[in-house]
Amino acid sequence: MTRVFYRHQALLSGLISFAVILLVWQLVVDLGFVKAFFLSTPTRMATEFMRQLKTGEIAANLSISLYEFAVGLGLAIAAGGVCGVLASWSRTLEAIFEPFVWFTYSSPTIAFYPMFIAWLGLGAPTIIAIAFLFAVTPIYANTLSGIKNVDQDLTRAALSFGARKTDLFIKIALPGSVPILVAGLRLAVGRALTGVVAAELFGATAGLGFAIAYYGQKLKTTEMMVNLVLIVICGVICTQILSLLEAATDKWRTGPGR
Amino acid sequence: MAQIEIRDVSVDYKRPNSEETFTAVDGINLSIEKGSFVTIVGSSGCGKSTLLLALAGLIPYAKGAITVDGKTVTAPGPDRAMVFQDASLLPWRSVHGNVRFGLELRRWRRDDLDQRVTRFVHMVGLGSFADYHPHQLSGGMRQRVNIARALAVDPDVLLMDEPFGALDAQTREVMGDELLRIWERDKKTAIFVTHAIDEAIFLGDRVVVMGKNPGHIREIVEIDLPRPRTSAMLDSPAFIAYRQKLRDYIAADMASLQMVKDVA
Repeated sequence: MTRVFYRHQALLSGLISFAVILLVWQLVVDLGFVKAFFLSTPTRMATEFMRQLKTGEIAANLSISLYEFAVGLGLAIAAGGVCGVLASWSRTLEAIFEPFVWFTYSSPTIAFYPMFIAWLGLGAPTIIAIAFLFAVTPIYANTLSGIKNVDQDLTRAALSFGARKTDLFIKIALPGSVPILVAGLRLAVGRALTGVVAAELFGATAGLGFAIAYYGQKLKTTEMMVNLVLIVICGVICTQILSLLEAATDKWRTGPGR
Repeated sequence: MAQIEIRDVSVDYKRPNSEETFTAVDGINLSIEKGSFVTIVGSSGCGKSTLLLALAGLIPYAKGAITVDGKTVTAPGPDRAMVFQDASLLPWRSVHGNVRFGLELRRWRRDDLDQRVTRFVHMVGLGSFADYHPHQLSGGMRQRVNIARALAVDPDVLLMDEPFGALDAQTREVMGDELLRIWERDKKTAIFVTHAIDEAIFLGDRVVVMGKNPGHIREIVEIDLPRPRTSAMLDSPAFIAYRQKLRDYIAADMASLQMVKDVA
């Protein structure tokens, strides 16, 4: 029993603290210290979750949000990756892309939301565009710096064996920049999710962010918080998937094997 | 004509961030016979590595001609393989994968590719470490991989740029022994750059002493010690005499530079 405890100590400690917080949350409301209006309770939210699940509300909102997230992130990976590779080959292209990087990094992109609505209408295309803009910069910047900062000693060694440009790219630059590419992906996933939710909050007709804004304006705390928790769960699942990806690409650091 | 002919070669370097160039080595003449082991010594900055890189085809030379088997050197070629001072191994590839790397780049398409890799990994004594990655190996082991990678592509000429420069003295001696053991098998032409005088004498048939400003060949000393060389020879009178002679040449070079400084 103690051995089982030690092996999973981190996980168990996390679960216990989580359970304690849920319990305290439930008690402060049930015992009347805080009104349910401000905090709701875990049990109320569970009941409400089941209701929204039955009415199909959750399925509808979750699927539209995930769709917008996936398309926005996918476009960002494609565009950011391709532009990053091209810019790593040409200084001129890098200089051309540079102002856009400053722009998207330093400006609150969400402030351009009204313009996107004017261009693309109120709905998925606008939200996808916002998610794309949020996510594209870290993908581009990390692809560029990963490929550009390739180890010059490795390049020289490869050249001495008659490496061609494609060899340098495929056998050195790409595998060498995997860690920084994954780091860029991690940033992009977080930013794409933020982009989707923020855009949905401002004005949309469906999605988890829309549900939060909708129930929030009606002062329905429990209904709103069910959707909030769903977003948190999505975020956690995404980062866990990325951790697995990171571990898989980093296997060579931890043990022998080809 | 010897296998390698270096005729009146000079190499210019561009200073970083300026159009100004300076001459790293100048007026180099050297002939190297097939199957001989030539070592190049000199204090740092004498251009010995520069000369080797020019021979490898990795940097251009401004004047003169370098030919290997009659062909002018303009780029890296399958007739030469290089062993670098830092092992320059791909960190994400295993020992096996790193030795394979050179063969892949040389477009080695034979069925026995992996068998060949295994043979060379064994030859450098890393048979039981084939699946290890560079960060799990010692400096000496990494250099063994570096050497195996170069030998596996079956070059006519092996170029080595201070391959044991970063190793401790004991490992260095062991590696020197090993290198000779491997070299004795098929006696590929070897050119070995080092700043260690003992190493240069122990390994070489000839020791080329280089001087500075700009880099030039100062002396060439024939090493008349029998092969196979053994560590017992390190204390023989002949060895000590060579050591003294080479030290004097290098000291003379340093002294002439000192005088230039004094005058200035």
